[in-house]
Amino acid sequence: MNHLPYIVGSYALFLAIAGGFTAAAWVRLGRARRRLAAIDPRGSR
Amino acid sequence: MDASTAFAPPAGGGRNLHRFANPGRFLRASGRVLPWLAAAGLLLTGIGLLWGLFFAPADWQQGDAVRIMYIHVPAAWLASGGYFALALASLASLVWRHPLADLAAAEIGPVGAAATALCLGTGSLWGKPMWGAWWVWDARLTSVLVLFFLYLGHIALVRAFDDPQRGARAGSILALVGVVNLPIIKFSVDWWNTLHQPATITLTGAPTMYVGMLWPLLFSALGFSFGFAALVVARMRAAVMERRIRALLSARARAEAA
Amino acid sequence: MTRKRRRLVLVLACGVGLGAAAALALSALSDSVAFFVTPSQIASKAPAPGRTFRLGGLVEAGSLQKFMDDGKPAARFRVTDGTGAVTVSFVGILPDLFREGQGMVALGTLAPDGTFRAQEVLAKHDETYMPKDIADALKKSGHWNPAAGPPPPASTWNTLVPKKLGG
Repeated sequence: MNHLPYIVGSYALFLAIAGGFTAAAWVRLGRARRRLAAIDPRGSR
Repeated sequence: MDASTAFAPPAGGGRNLHRFANPGRFLRASGRVLPWLAAAGLLLTGIGLLWGLFFAPADWQQGDAVRIMYIHVPAAWLASGGYFALALASLASLVWRHPLADLAAAEIGPVGAAATALCLGTGSLWGKPMWGAWWVWDARLTSVLVLFFLYLGHIALVRAFDDPQRGARAGSILALVGVVNLPIIKFSVDWWNTLHQPATITLTGAPTMYVGMLWPLLFSALGFSFGFAALVVARMRAAVMERRIRALLSARARAEAA
Repeated sequence: MTRKRRRLVLVLACGVGLGAAAALALSALSDSVAFFVTPSQIASKAPAPGRTFRLGGLVEAGSLQKFMDDGKPAARFRVTDGTGAVTVSFVGILPDLFREGQGMVALGTLAPDGTFRAQEVLAKHDETYMPKDIADALKKSGHWNPAAGPPPPASTWNTLVPKKLGG
């Protein structure tokens, strides 16, 4: 493959941004669910 | 303020959209949809990008640098499409005062900004080996940079007020004013001389792209869209729960004080 | 008129006003929004000698000469937009995509003899994405000479199956 550094850079940028946002959303969702379940066990769903 | 009245639909607003104003109903519906959105996003993006990276042919002029297109183009479509969704949510917030629209706008902003950053970054990484420059101030690149700043401004504005209602109102106005930029981005390459090439896929003619490159691009674009939707829905679910936690805590504090 | 309806009308009216203002501003500014000037624009209104600007157009078929200038790679070629043409001289390395029949944008000044002295040359890519064997097949069959202009209509090649024929 020619221009390899630019291609690797692009795919790495994608993985970093998409992975970062997915991990952040996952953590935030899990924390909110746990806190809500602790405060209000009935209506947490 | 009680947790349920915080989300109560406005009197007389028994419209269809307001069905989801109930937080419990939104959480149940979005909880069912989210796994499918996320799975579709992951699967289609994976197929599109692996296909583009390893199986699609190289371009006769660009060589393998054409493979950057499989990220750049879907990111660019989503940057504009996400802004359009942000504007629709802002309209629903400003005109119909839909309680979930504020949340949607606040959560679309950062995801859209990320798509725009990805578009600008990969474009730069393509521009250096192909054009010979990381960046030029032509109308297409400049208008997409303006889009990025609109997203950043919206993110800052909706979080800048103590009263979230006022933040949402100000953010909605900014988002709607910024819609002017969307046709400028789309038609910049036709209206003015730019270094950026015009559109390959148009409504009026056959795409000037070989099918073996078009298929992975379409898979990737579809996957990016599902992934974008999944991220926004997940963030909105978290925001609804966080809002409910705050309402419950303040109700409890008031009950204890009384 | 309900309050919702009034708000909707207000937002739409603001949108129409804003759109009209933006359209007026952009059409007034369109000269400075353009990234480059074309050879025919130079022919009708030449920029002052010594002023730095960007020239854009297609590299004319058969006009590219590459040579060495004081041990550095240099090039001379003509840039055309169909009606006018300007000769460009450049000392430096041309980008990968640079070729005859391809678009390019150069930054530089107009010399008194009418030659454009470029300090920087960028290649412009067109909107076609074509694998090498398809391009070779079109060239070999005489359907396309890349130096002479854009490829034939996309519907004639974008689903072509490249045949590995021995001749």
